[in-house]
Amino acid sequence: MARKMLNDGELSQPNQEEQTHFDFDLFVIGAGSGGVRAARFSANFGAKVGICELPFHPISSEVIGGVGGTCVIRGCVPKKILVYGASFGGELEDARSYGWEVHEKIDFDWKKLLQKKTDEILRLNGIYKRLLSNAGVKLYEGEGKIVGPNEVEVTQLDGTKLSYSAKHILIATGSRAQRAPIPGQELAITSDEALSLEELPKRAVVLGGGYIAVEFASIWRGMGSTVDLLFRKELPLRGFDDEMRAVVARNLEGRGINLHPRTTIKELIKSEEGVKVITDHGEEIVADVVLFATGRAPNTKRLNLKAVGVEVDQTGAVKVDENSRTNVPSIWAVGDVTNRMNLTPVALMEGMCFAKTVFGGQPCKPDYRDVPCAVFCIPPLSVVGLSEEQAIEQGKGDILVFTSSFNPMRNTISGRQEKTVMKLVVDAETEKVLGASMCGPEAPEIMQGIAVALKCGATKAQFDSTVGIHPSSAEEFVTMRSVTRRVAAASSNPKTNL
Amino acid sequence: MATSVTTPKLTTTFYKRLPITVPLSSHFLSLQNTLTPFSHNCCSLLYFQCQRRHVAARAKSDNGAELPSHYDFDLFTVGAGSGGVRASRFAANFGASVAICELPFSTISSETTGGVGGTCVLRGCVPKKLLVYASKFSHEFDESNGFGWKYGTEPQHDWSTLIANKNAELQRLTGIYKNILINAGITLIEGRGKIVDPHTVDVDGKLYSARHILISVGGRPFIPDIPGSEYAIDSDAALDLPSKPEKIAIVGGGYIALEFAGIFSGLTSEVHVFIRQKKVLRGFDEDIRDFVAERMSLRGIEFHTEESPQAILKSTDGSLSVKTNKGTVDGFSHVMFATGRRPNTKNLGLEKVGVKMTKNGAIEVDEYSGTAVPSIWAVGDVTDRINLTPVALMEGGALAKTLFQAEPTKPDYSAVPSAVFSQPPIGQVGLSEEQAIQEYGDIDVFTANFRPLKATLSGLPDRIFMKLVLCAKTNKVLGLHMCGEDAPEIVQGFAVAVKAGLTKADFDATVGVHPTAAEEFVTLRTPTRKIRKSPPSEGMTGPEVKAAAGV
Repeated sequence: MARKMLNDGELSQPNQEEQTHFDFDLFVIGAGSGGVRAARFSANFGAKVGICELPFHPISSEVIGGVGGTCVIRGCVPKKILVYGASFGGELEDARSYGWEVHEKIDFDWKKLLQKKTDEILRLNGIYKRLLSNAGVKLYEGEGKIVGPNEVEVTQLDGTKLSYSAKHILIATGSRAQRAPIPGQELAITSDEALSLEELPKRAVVLGGGYIAVEFASIWRGMGSTVDLLFRKELPLRGFDDEMRAVVARNLEGRGINLHPRTTIKELIKSEEGVKVITDHGEEIVADVVLFATGRAPNTKRLNLKAVGVEVDQTGAVKVDENSRTNVPSIWAVGDVTNRMNLTPVALMEGMCFAKTVFGGQPCKPDYRDVPCAVFCIPPLSVVGLSEEQAIEQGKGDILVFTSSFNPMRNTISGRQEKTVMKLVVDAETEKVLGASMCGPEAPEIMQGIAVALKCGATKAQFDSTVGIHPSSAEEFVTMRSVTRRVAAASSNPKTNL
Repeated sequence: MATSVTTPKLTTTFYKRLPITVPLSSHFLSLQNTLTPFSHNCCSLLYFQCQRRHVAARAKSDNGAELPSHYDFDLFTVGAGSGGVRASRFAANFGASVAICELPFSTISSETTGGVGGTCVLRGCVPKKLLVYASKFSHEFDESNGFGWKYGTEPQHDWSTLIANKNAELQRLTGIYKNILINAGITLIEGRGKIVDPHTVDVDGKLYSARHILISVGGRPFIPDIPGSEYAIDSDAALDLPSKPEKIAIVGGGYIALEFAGIFSGLTSEVHVFIRQKKVLRGFDEDIRDFVAERMSLRGIEFHTEESPQAILKSTDGSLSVKTNKGTVDGFSHVMFATGRRPNTKNLGLEKVGVKMTKNGAIEVDEYSGTAVPSIWAVGDVTDRINLTPVALMEGGALAKTLFQAEPTKPDYSAVPSAVFSQPPIGQVGLSEEQAIQEYGDIDVFTANFRPLKATLSGLPDRIFMKLVLCAKTNKVLGLHMCGEDAPEIVQGFAVAVKAGLTKADFDATVGVHPTAAEEFVTLRTPTRKIRKSPPSEGMTGPEVKAAAGV
């Protein structure tokens, strides 16, 4: 198979045990977290690997991307940089009570931050490219398409098409922010643009209740903007522990964000003062920027999947088995494009398992149990394991809930009225800690170690036997002595041993 | 923050408990309880006092398990710091009648001053951390510049605002502590407790009998006697200075010295640290010792290694000079000694009743915190075991269980995590590399030394160092160390994992929280070095080590 248009005479070496000759053992489409990880580790296992990625730009499209992918260019990294930038707003307020005389006139230079952010992601983009080349992975810039079970076509910037055969093809094209189908939607922006705005909006409206929505609301608020956050449900962050959702809502409000629960946008109208937002309650808010944080969709449209028979689900996500294999045996997929658990470290895990399974001779499946995650609102939320609702729903028996709500020591002097809340959900019978959550400063950093303990089935007794680090917030997790409540499983009747 | 007993959130975590009814043991006290359930005070105690002596004298029983005898209290605690309050509260919750005595409040401790809350709340963890918070802002201002924040003028620090706010907070906390005791039904007596006999405590001339006596009087800073040492301050004073030091000499290389160096440096004092040894933080992992000193130097702290002060001289302009084995350094506004702490065991009457002490003055105790006198117990810094608040809490809690719940409980000193709130701070749990080699011989070491995301933007030279020490044979994580922002918060969760005996594979199986610094601990893939004490046939030798590290 495989007709070639190889530039560098990169004919593959005949593989001893295989009779078919492929240009590559693996060709990866998409150089984001999952793709790069899979490519590098496959190469380390001795595979000959090619990878293609769209040209770099902070704002993605069908034809724009960049090595590093969403995480590095339009997600975790730039987002966290802006969160750092925004956090200083609160720090300055706190500093005064600690005796710091901060001049009334404080300037925040958005353009400077933006420039430094772009510099940083360019630097990381370079590092990623180097990681690939150091691993011996051949990088092509262009759009990848699947033309056969073992054949990939890359359309380069100048329009030339390259075609390569590969024993395995890995789809790792990720996903992209979507706009909600609302009249005037073209007046709104997505998180891509929000990370690269020319000017800091004075008034921002954020539509959505997910983590991206609350993060951007916090970012802009921290930088001094007026922020209105609109979401469909009673509380933001559906899917998280209800009690913690309420804490986040309270904190967002406490930091000055206007919350509009049970609200959506009916229409956006361009006006002289800005974009006029009409809510379904008939309310009008005028904003400089309207962010739609209403979900992301897998990037599968232009991959030609149908032609080769790779199945996708109704959201367009590539369907895979637990080894990340599609229904076409030579084609695999990892990361957001499969819409399993859309987190960078999960994509890394999937990429790593793929490489081990296919090239490392160590079949392994990604393990989605007790995956910790963080929402970088200000202050942040971080969780691992089950929420109280999930634990009840799984109905394996009674659960014990331990909560601690306290004023962090730093606030005693700053006077900031913001409680840190922590929670452990424990199986009453086995004493196993099923879930942990925290909302408060440093929650994501604190949760990582707790996640190790949880992942390995640590019991409440093991938490209790650990001595605290004093004075820290984290020590609360090992000093929760009295049960806040005991909750019967959803079906205290025998749904149990399912 | 804070263990329950040390901070504000107390109010939310602890419910008011009804005063515990005093058990059979002392009828007059239960009478007193009935009369004034919420307001124990010295006057009402005074009333019963006359009867005590002879009761106590007859009470020869030592193990407290037998028939009720007529003591005023089941437990009398001397010293209301972390360990004493914890033991007393738990004992009261288990049904014991408890009294506790403590010296009057002062920010500076002495033979006659102390305060409910003890070192942690008044002269240790809490005020120290508040000053650390204050001092960290200067670094944050620098960082914020890199993130686009600009200030009309450079922020200036007003020392008196900070100290006033800090002291208001301490007053609040000592009040909370008192309430905790009162709400637990404990009799709080202000005054200096002295042991008269195995069952009697004298508080400023009044005698109280008790089935058990707990000594939890803590420790105090110690300044060595050198010429001019009267010009020096200790950590008590350093936490409550009337004005900011312009230039301060800190003597000592332990955690207190490093924490104050960071505090004063952050509040823009010029800081010199004099340490006797080559390195700071004896007892810590060597990599951490090197790393933290290097980081602190980069923030402008000057270390004078292997340089011991021999005298402090005061010049006519009032400034202080430190004369050392290497020369003289002039121009200090303050000289602080952080040269260790000593147990507060003087003049407690301990020798007389037969309580044994080490040569440092620490009370010798067995695994259950029992002293040489069967009815006398001791917890916390006065026993000089591991001098940390949470350890004193553990000891106090264990003792209450042992004495009043018929559940003999030993404090467990394995894998106790700890932190140094230097800047950057340190968090650690388990064994240092050196200890691990001693104990296990063959170990694998994983390290990471990186520039965190925040630093790439701020442009400051901040870095983070992390280290895992593993048993080569079992893969168990023996030690975990970190120096860098948020290290104390980060290490707590890992301490649960280390305490539970988890392996490197367990760490690796955990998915990272992205993007954080902490995720590095679960993504360390390549050993930095493998150390083998056992014969080469069993372990890896040098060349193989290199090969492995290159993968």
